[in-house]
Amino acid sequence: MDPPSATKFDVAIVGAGPAGASAAYTLARKGFKVVVLERGRTPGSKNLFGGRVYSHPLELIFEGFKNEAPIERWTKREVLSFVTEEGIVSVEYASGSSTSFTAYLSKLSAWMASKAESAGAILVTDVRVDDILMENGKAVGIVSGGDRLYADVVVIAEGVNRLLCERRNITPQLSPEEVALGVKHVIRLGTDKINDRFGLDSNEGLAWFLIGKVTDYLPGGAFLYTNSTTVSLGIVVFLSHAMKKVKRHIYEVLEDLRTSPPFTRLLEGGSLVEYGSHLTPEAGLKMMPKKLYGDGFLIVGDAAGLLINLGYTVRGVDLAAFSGYLAAEAIEEAHSLGSYTSHNLSCYERKLNDSFVMKEMKRHDSVQKLMSKSHIFELYPQVLVGTTKRLFEFEEASPKLLEAAKESLKGKGSKFKMLLDAITLMRGP
Amino acid sequence: MTQQTATKQRIKRIRLEDALNANVWDVDAKPHIIVDSEKCVGCTNSACTYLCPGGCFTLLAGKLLYSYEGCLECGTCRVVCPKDAVTWNYPLSGRGVQYRFG
Amino acid sequence: MPLDIVVCVKWVPNTQIVNIDPRTGTLIREGVPSIINPHDLNAVEFGLTLKDSYGGRLTAIAMSPPSAKAGLEFLIGMGVDRAILITDRVFAGADTLATSYVLAKAIERLMPTDLIIFGQETIDSSTAHICAQTASWLKLPYIYYVIDARLEDGKKNIVVKRVLERKIEVFELPLPCLMAIAMKSNVPRPVTLSNKIKAKMENLIEVWNNEMLKLNINCVGLKGSPTVVSKSIPTPVVPRKKLKFEGTDPIEAARWLLDRLAEEGVRVI
Ligand SMILES: Cc1cc2nc3c(=O)[nH]c(=O)nc-3n(C[C@H](O)[C@H](O)[C@H](O)COP(=O)(O)OP(=O)(O)OC[C@H]3O[C@@H](n4cnc5c(N)ncnc54)[C@H](O)[C@@H]3O)c2cc1C
Ligand SMILES: Cc1cc2nc3c(=O)[nH]c(=O)nc-3n(C[C@H](O)[C@H](O)[C@H](O)COP(=O)(O)OP(=O)(O)OC[C@H]3O[C@@H](n4cnc5c(N)ncnc54)[C@H](O)[C@@H]3O)c2cc1C
Repeated sequence: MDPPSATKFDVAIVGAGPAGASAAYTLARKGFKVVVLERGRTPGSKNLFGGRVYSHPLELIFEGFKNEAPIERWTKREVLSFVTEEGIVSVEYASGSSTSFTAYLSKLSAWMASKAESAGAILVTDVRVDDILMENGKAVGIVSGGDRLYADVVVIAEGVNRLLCERRNITPQLSPEEVALGVKHVIRLGTDKINDRFGLDSNEGLAWFLIGKVTDYLPGGAFLYTNSTTVSLGIVVFLSHAMKKVKRHIYEVLEDLRTSPPFTRLLEGGSLVEYGSHLTPEAGLKMMPKKLYGDGFLIVGDAAGLLINLGYTVRGVDLAAFSGYLAAEAIEEAHSLGSYTSHNLSCYERKLNDSFVMKEMKRHDSVQKLMSKSHIFELYPQVLVGTTKRLFEFEEASPKLLEAAKESLKGKGSKFKMLLDAITLMRGP
Repeated sequence: MTQQTATKQRIKRIRLEDALNANVWDVDAKPHIIVDSEKCVGCTNSACTYLCPGGCFTLLAGKLLYSYEGCLECGTCRVVCPKDAVTWNYPLSGRGVQYRFG
Repeated sequence: MPLDIVVCVKWVPNTQIVNIDPRTGTLIREGVPSIINPHDLNAVEFGLTLKDSYGGRLTAIAMSPPSAKAGLEFLIGMGVDRAILITDRVFAGADTLATSYVLAKAIERLMPTDLIIFGQETIDSSTAHICAQTASWLKLPYIYYVIDARLEDGKKNIVVKRVLERKIEVFELPLPCLMAIAMKSNVPRPVTLSNKIKAKMENLIEVWNNEMLKLNINCVGLKGSPTVVSKSIPTPVVPRKKLKFEGTDPIEAARWLLDRLAEEGVRVI
């Protein structure tokens, strides 16, 4: 298509996930002529995640968020479990208040995109973008099949598989060290069973993370989130480790989990309504492109490597959305300066650095590095479960806590190393 | 043992094919995965065969067979292939898996 | 000679995944999206190919609830020039007679037109009645299972090929006429960016209701539908044997399969 002037846009956004939809919504409200290109049939139809979203950043971006968004349940119970063949040790936190909710990413993305559309953005689905259109080193639009579409700025919100960035050598090809694979079941149980079995009121949600045997002791973990009538049950494994150590099909690892206690009892009578998978960035600051902006373009969300995995929680949706929001602000600022040069768009990076997004990314970077080390996922569950077992399963002499711990640590590596990990986990860098 | 049988009755394993069948699909007539299986010769890892969540890759008598119909579009095959044998792109026209929940 | 072509499409629930809850026996419909009847995409592709060869215009019409707009946008994305959504509460609950009546009346408004094409059948009812019935209302000739068409004699006649089980027949029909395109007889083209933008930016979808068509309400919708579903019998469950070939040799596997089939009384010729 050679563009009649009517179809030239101020901004073209690739991808209608949380990052792209937030950018589109914010830009449309600022009066920009925006087009969002999404390869899925409907926005959300290609998106998949674990199941819990931190609300505050989204409330800042979207007007009416709390009342309109497809929120399933507000997280009121948090459980972290260490699992071995011997048993499970869990830590639970319960609270009256809540800053996060459970959700389906397909529905949440669709809602965000519909907000962008009502704000005036043009949403074009069923269209796969094949390339960024570059002229003299400057992004001037996008290419799809034999068609071109021109725009003053391109926002790349293509998610973790950065096919476009790779094609343009903006980022190198993804390596197994940089990503983790998530596979997930959505299982319908009905509201009553969920409330009864997980000890919840109708609006209350559970976020449960498990490590250890659940992934064959590989770096990663399992998660369970309760939605209104279903639960999301899945596992996440770091690909580099999975390549070396997984000895059976990844689906079987998920099925082993679903068909083992305590899930046999908790999920009994449930029916599978969806099985899906998705990659997630895992390398912390290392996976971020050197520059998140250039002449005529910005990179947001997963494509920019913005994701925090702390082992007990994965945060990406709020970071993606907020980076989209900041990209919109940066575009507005560059517009007021008269052009979308790399220099004028560089304020995007400043805005990110000043926001919670980069502050959090940096704060948790050392924890994320730790999370990719395999010993955490083997040693901790073994020691914790071993110690607890010795504390409670005895025949005559009840052991003292320290004795039990010492006993279970025997031959399991350096205590000093563990202490260091513990310090990293608690206070960050 | 008795405990195990009890567990078995409580919850049945679901075969991968049946799990994939729970999803909504609009499969394209044209494949979006192409494997240059010449390159697979001598691959000792064959990570694609156990890490593709859709089970699109299998070894039969030492030869790699692949399909694209059950592809969940995660991109794992592309990332784990040590031989750069997988050409993978998203399907056109919104085809492929249609997540309703995600 | 440019052709003015109308293609009829149905917006159907994606029946391939209407799963049945094994415990309650009811359909799981949550979130199941509707789609353009897949066989109708073959009809659209057929129309677009004719348009590519002879020029002209392709108009899609669908009688459906308003949600079909998304499907019509998809068709414009493929290259359809104009779409008409026939939607009105009084049209709801139609059987094939009432459906074909409304379609015929809508097509009359689009006359003069050269060719009206249909899918072979739908995935949610598969009666394959609509093309023939619409032709009867319009008193025009029709033909089924078409795989190819080309103009002869300028624009008076069209030569079509159709497939039957073991042969291909060639017919010559006068224009205008109706035809149902054989399912899977072509590969529908992908949606393009420029067409999809057109669908979004230009008003190419018209909505027609009965205020406009002014059809007798006793002839449309539930009232105009004499079909009665007296009883529905669920398909009997065939117990599966779940045998598995454990070897690796493909030739052995094929032989093994033939042997198992023979045991079941299947004769291979
Ligand atoms: C297993 C797993 C569990 C997770 N759990 C959580 C969690 O509990 N909480 C949380 O906050 N985050 C979680 N995340 C992370 C979160 O899902 C992501 O960070 C977030 O979705 C990123 O948003 P995005 O918009 O950048 O990318 P995406 O959501 O991936 O969206 C990208 C969009 O771009 C489209 N697209 C891509 N390429 C093209 C192209 N060429 N042309 C057109 N369109 C294109 C895609 O179809 C897609 O819609 C999880 C991730 C995974 C994989
Ligand atoms: C026994 C039986 C009972 C039924 N009872 C009811 C009922 O009580 N209530 C009810 O609502 N439905 C009922 N239906 C469904 C209804 O009859 C059909 O959905 C409808 O008339 C179209 O017929 P079809 O789907 O079989 O189309 P087919 O004849 O198989 O379709 C052939 C082609 O006609 C075109 N076409 C079909 N429908 C449309 C349309 N709506 N708009 C544009 N083009 C179209 C398409 O090109 C399609 O490929 C019943 C069906 C059967 C078989």
